[in-house]
Amino acid sequence: MARLGGAAPKSSGTPEAVKQMRQMFFDAWAQYAEQFMRSEQFLTAMKQAMDNALAFRQQMDQFLTQGVRNMQMPARSDADHIVLLLRSLEDRVMQRLDQLDARVSAMENGAGKRDQAPTKKRGR
Amino acid sequence: MNATNATINPWLISPAEMNDMWQGFLRRVAMMPRVAGIAEKVRVGATPAEPIYREDKLRVLRYESDVEKQFRTPLLVVFALVNRPYILDLRPGKSVVRHFLSRGFDVYNVDWGVPADGDRHLDLHDYIEKYLAHAVDAVLDYTGTEQLNILGYCMGGTMSAMYTALHPEQVKNLIMLAAPVDWSDRDNLLSVWTNEKYFDVDRVIEVFGNMPAVWLQASFLMLKPVSNLIEKYFSFYENMEDEKFLEDFFAMETWLNDNIPVAGEMFRQFVKYCFQRNQLIQGELRVGRRRVDLKNVTCPVLTLTATNDHLVPCGQSLPFNEAVGSTDRKAINFAAGHIGMAVGSRANRELWPKVCDWLAERSEKI
Repeated sequence: MARLGGAAPKSSGTPEAVKQMRQMFFDAWAQYAEQFMRSEQFLTAMKQAMDNALAFRQQMDQFLTQGVRNMQMPARSDADHIVLLLRSLEDRVMQRLDQLDARVSAMENGAGKRDQAPTKKRGR
Repeated sequence: MNATNATINPWLISPAEMNDMWQGFLRRVAMMPRVAGIAEKVRVGATPAEPIYREDKLRVLRYESDVEKQFRTPLLVVFALVNRPYILDLRPGKSVVRHFLSRGFDVYNVDWGVPADGDRHLDLHDYIEKYLAHAVDAVLDYTGTEQLNILGYCMGGTMSAMYTALHPEQVKNLIMLAAPVDWSDRDNLLSVWTNEKYFDVDRVIEVFGNMPAVWLQASFLMLKPVSNLIEKYFSFYENMEDEKFLEDFFAMETWLNDNIPVAGEMFRQFVKYCFQRNQLIQGELRVGRRRVDLKNVTCPVLTLTATNDHLVPCGQSLPFNEAVGSTDRKAINFAAGHIGMAVGSRANRELWPKVCDWLAERSEKI
């Protein structure tokens, strides 16, 4: 307190002092926040909040899916099934192409022929 | 003594200084329309680029340059899936891409695009062995070369490491920028949050399909809440009269708020196999049917780590140099943050010229 009554610096050092004080406060706050966000309590609360949000979202999705199905319309899950079906089809076609590629290469090698340009693997 | 008082005692504000602060506040209020104008006009992406390859939402961009090409081996930049790749070419003077272009490299960038709901099934195999492999093929075809250099940033670095391990014959040099490969050190906050005990990634993806951008953004913000939500705006207020600062600030904000969702299956596999089970460094990770063995990486490797990286601590990147089969390997630890490595003034002044030198020494000249 005695210092408060002391002579104030004439230069514009005081705002700098405020900045330093502020920085110290923020550093301490950041450190506290970091410790808090690592604590078991925070992590458990985070998990609970996430579980609740996911459960709510899932219920909403189920409700909407039921609604559109009742109206004889496709839902997101139906579109997902189609995408999955296409993906598995693509996989099978790619595998088949790779097999054909390998067979053609083997035949060419057997006949002593060599392509000038290296062939690329299609499906990898 | 006065200096000490000034440091610890904020109450010594003279009326003149109070007046200065008040006038400064009024000046800043008066500047608001100009600030809004700068925010509207800010542009991201310093260098013009043309797509040379497209597949689904992926684009491979080639950067234009006036500098004569000095090196035959092209450079492909691979960024993470969680943000847009223009961070490496944010603004003039803050562009990693420009460093390489000005040294005569032919630079390409992988823009993964924004996954839609239908892309939720895209997985590690799709991204590494399909998209990245095709991007590499496209660059090799376009340049007529058999090998290329790869610069992988963050998650893009991890993916580049996987690709290089699977196709070592195509990669001449590999630069890993703040890229995690070993998650055994679980000390950083992101690793704590992604612990299986608290984060059920299967359920998140089952419910949401793709990992929502807003969740990702909120998580990244909360890793440093005081800095990201409070300190940044104090700094903004104090520098409101500096036009250059404002342009950089708004460019950075544009990028930070440009989060994109991550394809659900890819996110699930990355979190589960990398963050939670740490399979990559142990040689247990499989991409499709193939096992990723980092010992297969035999090209020269440069690992760049940031001292103050809160997302990817050095301990998650440095083990890469021990795990690879390369004999030519180097690590540079630079005093910066995760993003500062790409856009920081000091990194652009001191780090990237060194990286260009390293790559130039190992690239085939024309």
